[in-house]
Amino acid sequence: MGFTRDAVERLSALRDEPAWLKSRRLESFGVYERTPMPDTRRDADWRQVDLKGLDLESFEPFQQPDGAAPAPSIPESLGVLAQRGTGAATAASSAAELERRGVVFCPLWEAAVRHPELVERYLFSALRPDRDKFSALHSAFFSGGTFLYVPDGVSLERPLVGQFWSAGTGGSTLPHTLIVAGKGSRFEYLDEFLDDGAAVSYVALHRWGEQAWQFAGQRVRLNRDAQFQGVNVGLGGRFARLRMEALLEGEGSSARLRGLFFGTGRQSFDFRTLQDHLAPHTTSDLLYKGALRDLARSVYVGVVRVEKNARGTSANQANRNLLLSEKARAASEPILEIENNDILRCSHGATVGPVDPEHLFYLTSRGIPEPVAERMLVQGFLSEVLDQIPVAYARQVVEEELARRIG
Amino acid sequence: MADFQIEDLRVSVEGREILKGISLGIDKGEVHAVMGPNGSGKSTLSHTLMGHPNYKVLGGRVLFKDRNLLEMPTEQRARLGVFLALQYPVVVPGITMSNFLRTALNAKRGYDGKDKSKAIAPKEFRALLKSEMGVLHMDDSFLSRYVNEGFSGGEKKRAEILQMAVLKPEIAILDETDSGLDIDSIKFVSEGVNRMRGPELGILLITHYTRILEFVRPDFVHVLVDGQFVLSGGPEVAAALEKTGYAEWVKEPQAAAQEA
Repeated sequence: MGFTRDAVERLSALRDEPAWLKSRRLESFGVYERTPMPDTRRDADWRQVDLKGLDLESFEPFQQPDGAAPAPSIPESLGVLAQRGTGAATAASSAAELERRGVVFCPLWEAAVRHPELVERYLFSALRPDRDKFSALHSAFFSGGTFLYVPDGVSLERPLVGQFWSAGTGGSTLPHTLIVAGKGSRFEYLDEFLDDGAAVSYVALHRWGEQAWQFAGQRVRLNRDAQFQGVNVGLGGRFARLRMEALLEGEGSSARLRGLFFGTGRQSFDFRTLQDHLAPHTTSDLLYKGALRDLARSVYVGVVRVEKNARGTSANQANRNLLLSEKARAASEPILEIENNDILRCSHGATVGPVDPEHLFYLTSRGIPEPVAERMLVQGFLSEVLDQIPVAYARQVVEEELARRIG
Repeated sequence: MADFQIEDLRVSVEGREILKGISLGIDKGEVHAVMGPNGSGKSTLSHTLMGHPNYKVLGGRVLFKDRNLLEMPTEQRARLGVFLALQYPVVVPGITMSNFLRTALNAKRGYDGKDKSKAIAPKEFRALLKSEMGVLHMDDSFLSRYVNEGFSGGEKKRAEILQMAVLKPEIAILDETDSGLDIDSIKFVSEGVNRMRGPELGILLITHYTRILEFVRPDFVHVLVDGQFVLSGGPEVAAALEKTGYAEWVKEPQAAAQEA
């Protein structure tokens, strides 16, 4: 048990990985060994996070394929599936179509062998292994995951999907999604996690079981005029931490970031976002909305950074939290770091509170029973983000899950 | 005893007594106008009758259909047949007008999500809306918009009257429905109200100005000053107010307290 050097070697041998990948894993493992657990009192990046009860030694370092799927496969008409669990799952007809257009869409381990020129160059170029202990662990032990390359100018009509799940209590699941979008390409990608200049739309659906600990990181680097739309949906996990970082490196690039979460029981969410404006005339627009019931809690820390030469920046950041019980808690901390005053617009806002009593009065004054009115208001509150989920299949899954949680 | 009987109603807001013993009987078929300067307690009266949580009842009763309204939650008052058109209709993002209206109507029909036979049929619902919206000069796009979001002042008031037309109350309280409206909007709103007038509806029309009373003719007029009725009578009271204003009761209307 536990994450050891020997386990890294076994994992790498399992897929007969190329030497460069194995040595990167071992290098990352060295970082993992040297790096202490985050100091949740002193390290600003981990403030308010409760890691008590997390014992890394108790986890299986990786899973043997494949375990029964906790959810049905999505219909071919709704999306092209690359991977289910740790196995490849692209239907032959779709695979041929993608190949014809030069798209690479396959499990990451397979891409590492077949397309080393792409994978070796980009893997962990955005998400650095030395960021913290969990990043190092991920780089050393990632298994499963998807590689997607869409060449210049290629538009894909159907969304591409990866589905991942854990084999149950005690397992660890460390899938890594690497997407390389060519200039002028356009597509939608959905990562679904279960338990029980390009225009890219990315949706991550986090639906882990209630005992799961999640430490997820997303980082997108945008070149000139690239557009990114990312939606994160948090519904599962005992503790779910998600870092979403958009680096606007190219002039005219834009990112639209959306988050949606609903916590029940003792669930705890931890969102850290970064809108990093590094080039002129870049745009970012972030909205994270969530509702918490029972003893659930959430922490949101969002940074908007406008670097020196990022003149003409337009940045918007909002985090809205709805508390549906007296013991639910939400903390929200917006941070602005502005080094260029020649900006177009920069706004931020945070709210934490119960359902607005004026709204409730208005609906009940029309004869709508209070519990129904509250449900409508919660749905209405979340629909602003729900309606913007770009992948129809994902929107439907989230809608059903929310309906179940709202009651 | 009138159909809707307010008896010695006393109400406080944030510890301050605003209504100091109001009595008023409304029979179905009648239109009662309550007029008063800012701060006299007009909105306190309307909100208390509907059960808004910020208003604390100190004493009195409101009898309707052999029940004391003041002991019932807001939703039950509404289902019993009381309607309040708000002075400042609330913007509710994320809920469409159509969903709002249908849910309210179904609640009135006793549909609780189980017995589908009680829910209004989609076709019937559409027909009902089409005819009422025509009277109020509202187009179909209202239905897919979120409740009051981005509505102009006139659109909000018309949407209130639309809700009233759909829910068909027996007692309707119109709280300054005319305030902030241009003359066209006042006409549309008044047309909508007049269409509903009849033996099955009693109206309590609360207003600061006499203007709307030219279009919705009241049977009785009551003047509310500092939480009490100082004068009650027929339409001639409004005509007198038109000339003299509230000067007889309020020395400096400009310095009056904010509307409570």
